[in-house]
Amino acid sequence: MHKQTTLFSRTLIAPLVLLAPAISFAQVDTSDWKCESCPFDQGYRAEVDAGVTYVGEDGAIRFGNATGYDDKGAYANVGGQGRYAGDGYRLDWMIEDLGLDSRVFELEGGRQGTFGFRVGYRELPYRRFDTSQTVFNPSSSDTITLPGAWVPAGLTSNMTQLSSSLRKQNIGSDRQIIDIGADWQPGAAFRLFADFRRQNRDGIDITGGSSFTQSALLPRWIDYETDQVDAGIQYGTNRASLTLAYYGSYFTNQNPSLTWDTPFTSAPGAGQYRMAMAPDNDFQQVSLSGAYRATMWDTVVAFTVASGSGEQNELLLPYTVNSGVAASALPRNALDGKVDTANYALTVTSRPLPKGRVKFAYRFDERDNKTPQSTWNRVITDIFLSGDIEQNVPYSFERSTITLSGELVVWKDIRVSAGGERKELKRDFQEVAEQTVDAGWGQVRWRPLTWLDLRVKGGATERDIDRYDETVAISLGQNPLMRKYNLAYRYRSYGELIASITPVDWPVSLGTTVLYADDRYNKSQLGITDSEEVRATVDVNWAISENSSLYLVYGHENIDALQLGSEQFGVWDWSATHEDNFDHIGAGFHWSQPDGKYKLRFDFNRSDGETSIDLFSLSGGESRLPDLTSTLDSARIEASYHWTERLDATLDVRYERFKVDDYTLVSPATIPTVLTLGAQAYDYDVWALGLGIRYHFGAGDITLAD
Amino acid sequence: MPTHKKHRRQRGLLLVTIALMAISAPAVVAAQEDAAVDYSKKGADTCFQCHDDQTVLAVFRTKHAVPTDPNSPFGHGQLQCEACHGPGGDHAGRVRRGQERPPMVRFGSDSGTPVAEQNAYCIDCHLSDAGFAWHGSAHDNNTVACADCHTLHVERDPVLSTATQADVCFDCHQQQRTQSMKPYAHPVRQGKMDCSGCHNTHGSTTDRLLARATTNDTCYDCHAEYRGPYLWEHAPAAEDCANCHDPHGSNYPGMLSMRAPTLCQSCHSQDGHPSLPQDERGLPGGIPSQYLLGQACLNCHDQVHGSNHPSGSKLMR
Repeated sequence: MHKQTTLFSRTLIAPLVLLAPAISFAQVDTSDWKCESCPFDQGYRAEVDAGVTYVGEDGAIRFGNATGYDDKGAYANVGGQGRYAGDGYRLDWMIEDLGLDSRVFELEGGRQGTFGFRVGYRELPYRRFDTSQTVFNPSSSDTITLPGAWVPAGLTSNMTQLSSSLRKQNIGSDRQIIDIGADWQPGAAFRLFADFRRQNRDGIDITGGSSFTQSALLPRWIDYETDQVDAGIQYGTNRASLTLAYYGSYFTNQNPSLTWDTPFTSAPGAGQYRMAMAPDNDFQQVSLSGAYRATMWDTVVAFTVASGSGEQNELLLPYTVNSGVAASALPRNALDGKVDTANYALTVTSRPLPKGRVKFAYRFDERDNKTPQSTWNRVITDIFLSGDIEQNVPYSFERSTITLSGELVVWKDIRVSAGGERKELKRDFQEVAEQTVDAGWGQVRWRPLTWLDLRVKGGATERDIDRYDETVAISLGQNPLMRKYNLAYRYRSYGELIASITPVDWPVSLGTTVLYADDRYNKSQLGITDSEEVRATVDVNWAISENSSLYLVYGHENIDALQLGSEQFGVWDWSATHEDNFDHIGAGFHWSQPDGKYKLRFDFNRSDGETSIDLFSLSGGESRLPDLTSTLDSARIEASYHWTERLDATLDVRYERFKVDDYTLVSPATIPTVLTLGAQAYDYDVWALGLGIRYHFGAGDITLAD
Repeated sequence: MPTHKKHRRQRGLLLVTIALMAISAPAVVAAQEDAAVDYSKKGADTCFQCHDDQTVLAVFRTKHAVPTDPNSPFGHGQLQCEACHGPGGDHAGRVRRGQERPPMVRFGSDSGTPVAEQNAYCIDCHLSDAGFAWHGSAHDNNTVACADCHTLHVERDPVLSTATQADVCFDCHQQQRTQSMKPYAHPVRQGKMDCSGCHNTHGSTTDRLLARATTNDTCYDCHAEYRGPYLWEHAPAAEDCANCHDPHGSNYPGMLSMRAPTLCQSCHSQDGHPSLPQDERGLPGGIPSQYLLGQACLNCHDQVHGSNHPSGSKLMR
């Protein structure tokens, strides 16, 4: 037994001993490599920007989307970045837009190779409408009420108090993110890491509040908080890596319901309604991932095994807020919702031939919804009992994917690659229980000259199903001929060309891509039946001189789709032809004086989106909806003047014009049965002028040590 | 244990030993060959005799030039400039008049050094944090050089900053740049969101290099309110957010792939709630339709991500 153990030990030790020289890196005599002239980073330096920006137009709240420039007026702003370095320790800080709702602060430090930490704070404003109006007033964060003088009516046009009761209500929210993280390397091979992130989002969103045949778009106060934790331990050598990690997500909604008064005439006792909002939830996941690299055939084996569990047990609201409805008792007070997830993956990449490489990948994802099923007796929109007994449906699925691909250099400048994939999906409680997606693709890459790179790729994907269970569709009251977009049989073929031209002795480079894809839903009688997609881009860059450059980019996208529907709940009797177009042109240049005294940068973007929908129906003949269009022009000039060794003067001019045509945005009383918020389509011109200074602290140029 | 069984087991272990030695052998040979090549006499001090401009020296403001970190190229006993640029003995040595100096390893797709060779230098040190995943990843398959994305001789690498990262990615991902310019998109063009928030760019075992295990898990990182599980689920939402949303940008509010009601009608044709063609008859000039205007289907069925209300089976509560 002892001999066996010894032999076994030797078996393992022998290759490790042989590996040792490789691990300890090449044996190079560096005893004379004093690095005496090396100017290692020491001391403190920073640059701080301070300035004022004036926004010149009102009514352009969407310009403040992600920027913080919401309204007309002056904004003081501070930004900058800095670093302290010394004796292996380092502290970096960065501030962006301190005076705006889009402010960012980051602090990162530590001793490289030993430990590190970071603290971050970030705000992100989302600005949607400032033309919206409502008759509702908040009486608390989860209840909105009508004005005392409100007179309900059956149609919006008969609401006599409407115009006098409307008040402006901006729609948008603010997100704040705090991020705290650290890592520690107790040894050469180990690393421990932990990251905590808290996201808060508050503001006003739009919610459709139905009162059976009527509805009102409601301003809804949102107040979300999400805590996330990523932590783990990693072991890594130059042969293998192993990571054990934990991920936790904890979501809390301070307003789990919304109660509102209906502005429409209602039955006695049915003047108030309530809906549930996103419930609190949490999710935890443990994962083990690793990789091993063998020198034989340069093979890398990587795997991931993850197991997660999510829970949701928010107290349920009663069936109705209407005490006049004799609703039954709830089958449970809280859902006790639980979803288990499993994710496994294995990839093997290898180069069995000097000019050939293969890759095998397997992936399995599972969502196992273990939420208990109960029977429920719905009250329709807080007005009357449905009379039906309904059972909640916890959807689960399993998805597995096997991929095999390879690449071969067949000639010195020609690489050929090909691959195939099979994806299998199994679902519960849906029309399609089993679905397979088979895909195959091939690519030829030809680089005949050092400055010319051409790639042609093509492939096909067939999504097939075992059967479309029409009994499931019928049980849900769906037309049995409908084939849902994501469940239907589909055959997709596509081709792509990518070219890159970068002449060595020429200052101009050019890149272009063209993609064409054709989707056929051959077995669908209702639903999407055809779709065609074309995407193209062109990039041109011109290095005019060492200190100036120019670029021009263009992108085009076109998606056409044909959809069939049935208003008679039978075979198709109407069709809709969609055509989506989008074009983007961007151009700009950058210039600086050789000594850096003056710097100038100019960027311009124009985007045009257009959607047209042509309809044909047996009941109404041919019809065309107005085009939905959007046009965005934006330009920015940034300039700086290097006033003194430490001081720069800066100029930042922005211009944005955004115009949308959208027939769905209508005034509050346009739709007889829906009281909208009356938001108007975007149409604004806005400019912003910023003047500031940038002061540099600490060392500037780097000079070699004496 | 019978003797023949013992011999068979020993033979098995011997074979394992030989196999492991065979796997290890190339590494040993490579290391020995590496040691035999000619490095410069004084390391970086040799290089700086010629290369002393600000671009080169900026490396001293990066993580690659921290002498107290033994893993840094400028750490004690490390190979300094030659850790990345390869042995410089021949390059720094004497050359005959008119003869070109032997080139060093240079970085970038058009540098002249094969991409695989460049990346091997990077991966040699960054194996456990990036290199394992890199092998066979989409970027590796497309012969992307590490230096195509990373700028090394600058104090702050643009690809590591949220404000500037997307511009680097869009150099190749031009179709995504076009999409990012659509009227309804994540705040990427404003520099407030980066690509690596959703994608693990060095490679991963997930689809499309996603940062989390699935598309939905990635979306829930910022949109945890939709995770549920809800009492009444909307099956396509629970399965894949991308069934209805285009995360790179859309012509439609909410980054939807089509506009309601036609998006909804691509799956639903309900008995008693007919799937009517929402044409120009429903515009304000005709009989304004609650199924076409405002939020269309969502005027009533607002809870499309799922409802937790006992009366919410039709996603109206």
